[in-house]
Amino acid sequence: MSLLRILLFFVREAYVNLRRSWRVSLLAVFTITTSLFVGGLFLLLSENLARLLEEWRSQAKVIVYLSAPPSADQRNDLLQKLERASWVEGVREVSAERAQQRFAEIFPSLADLTLEWSEAPLPESLEVSLAPASSGDDGLPAWLAELRRHPAVELVDDDRDWLRQLELLVGVFRGVGLTLGALLLAAATLTIASVIRLTAYLYRDEIAVLRLIGATEFYIRGPFYAEGLVQGATGGLAALAGLYAAYRLIRPQSDAALLGTVLVGDFLPMAQLLFLLVLGAAAGLLGAILSVRREAGVL
Amino acid sequence: MIQFLNVSKTYEECRVALDRVTFELGRGEFGFLTGPSGAGKTTLLRLIYREALPDSGQVLIRGRNVGALPLSKVPFLRRRIGVVFQDCRLIDRKTVFENVGYLPRVLGIGLRDRRRLAYQALRQVGLAHRMRSFPPELSRGEQQRVAIARALINEPEILLADEPTGNLDPELSREVFRVFRQINATGTTVLAATHSPALITEFGGRVLVLDRGRLVGDQRLVGRHGPDYLQLVQEEPRRVARRGGP
Repeated sequence: MSLLRILLFFVREAYVNLRRSWRVSLLAVFTITTSLFVGGLFLLLSENLARLLEEWRSQAKVIVYLSAPPSADQRNDLLQKLERASWVEGVREVSAERAQQRFAEIFPSLADLTLEWSEAPLPESLEVSLAPASSGDDGLPAWLAELRRHPAVELVDDDRDWLRQLELLVGVFRGVGLTLGALLLAAATLTIASVIRLTAYLYRDEIAVLRLIGATEFYIRGPFYAEGLVQGATGGLAALAGLYAAYRLIRPQSDAALLGTVLVGDFLPMAQLLFLLVLGAAAGLLGAILSVRREAGVL
Repeated sequence: MIQFLNVSKTYEECRVALDRVTFELGRGEFGFLTGPSGAGKTTLLRLIYREALPDSGQVLIRGRNVGALPLSKVPFLRRRIGVVFQDCRLIDRKTVFENVGYLPRVLGIGLRDRRRLAYQALRQVGLAHRMRSFPPELSRGEQQRVAIARALINEPEILLADEPTGNLDPELSREVFRVFRQINATGTTVLAATHSPALITEFGGRVLVLDRGRLVGDQRLVGRHGPDYLQLVQEEPRRVARRGGP
């Protein structure tokens, strides 16, 4: 028997099964949709956060605030130290005046405040850009610690410190999403298993006839596998449609709100959409396998 | 073709269904299996098509121990055995053609050939014109004949029938057995369980009598002109009782 003919038979029988018990099938599809939607939403948010983190990481700098005023020797020594380091991509000097100017640009309402001070209110600094590959370098923390001890240095502010904390937060967020999604998916799989068990029960007489005439187990169980697969894939498709609708709903408002920009900047890439779809189908198939395995006592 | 060697079968509730049954039914033989209700007729048939396994002894089909067959091989055994039941076991939501053509479909035979095979099988039982009907639209006798056609479609070597005329009137019962006789004439071994002495005496053949799981009679009748079957089935249990019973 050609594989295509077998598959067609399975799909046709699965369609009949689904039509016969459409209410419970709808429940199964709904549970899988919910679980994949929740999992997908966490994935969407964490993907956007991760993308944003990556962007921020590429722009991350180490700001070295100089003690005022450093001697010429100290200053040269510091600059040489920075230039020698392999992970330093560039050093930009920011004078006290330039710092004050920037402050005025960023916070115009507070600009007058700095004018009232007799001395330069903001210290001179060096903005150190790091090479992209440097973040994983083990020597970097030790080098930064040494930098902090340099007599010309007042303070070293490493952007990557708070990025690391944010990274941790994204990790926790993703973990919670994955756990929740997995739990819901397990529940959906069990729901599909129950629905298919019910269908198999409805068809127990026909199954007995099939066995009697010499149908193989694969032939008997195939339509149920197809049914689980169809339910799972339908749930997956519905979840993707729901996710896209949610994305489109939040997206127009996100331009105005930082949170929106952060959370739904981009939709999920095609590979992840396919992954969710395959996950739904696989959960459906697993539910079917669980329900019609010999030990379940249904068939 | 079918051999039972000291076959015993006891169900969980300690009811002895078969007790050391030994017989052989040759290729092309026409056999009746008879005896009172609960004598073990259905169990004996179920052992042949591997719906049940013996507790001891061996059931051989063409010399092969059916009980030793791995589960994966059971469907292939069943494709060589046609089974007809009292309750027909047709699928109501499928047409007569679909019911009869189920096995060819399982075997991957294309629609055109399936239709041809189903037509031939249904013509054998005189129902070729009901291909498109659904089982509930047919009379009990017609349903039984559809079940026979389904059992015949793969030209089985063995045809088993478990009280196939239990729900039919005498005329329809005779019709069913006439079909069985025709099938037997083509070389198929037929073993039919029945309560009806009239059918046995009318159609004749090998008569196996079971009583409380034991084979208490094994005779050959030649249709209406053979030994009086009524006497046989009435006397056998009595004779056994006189001997001390099984």
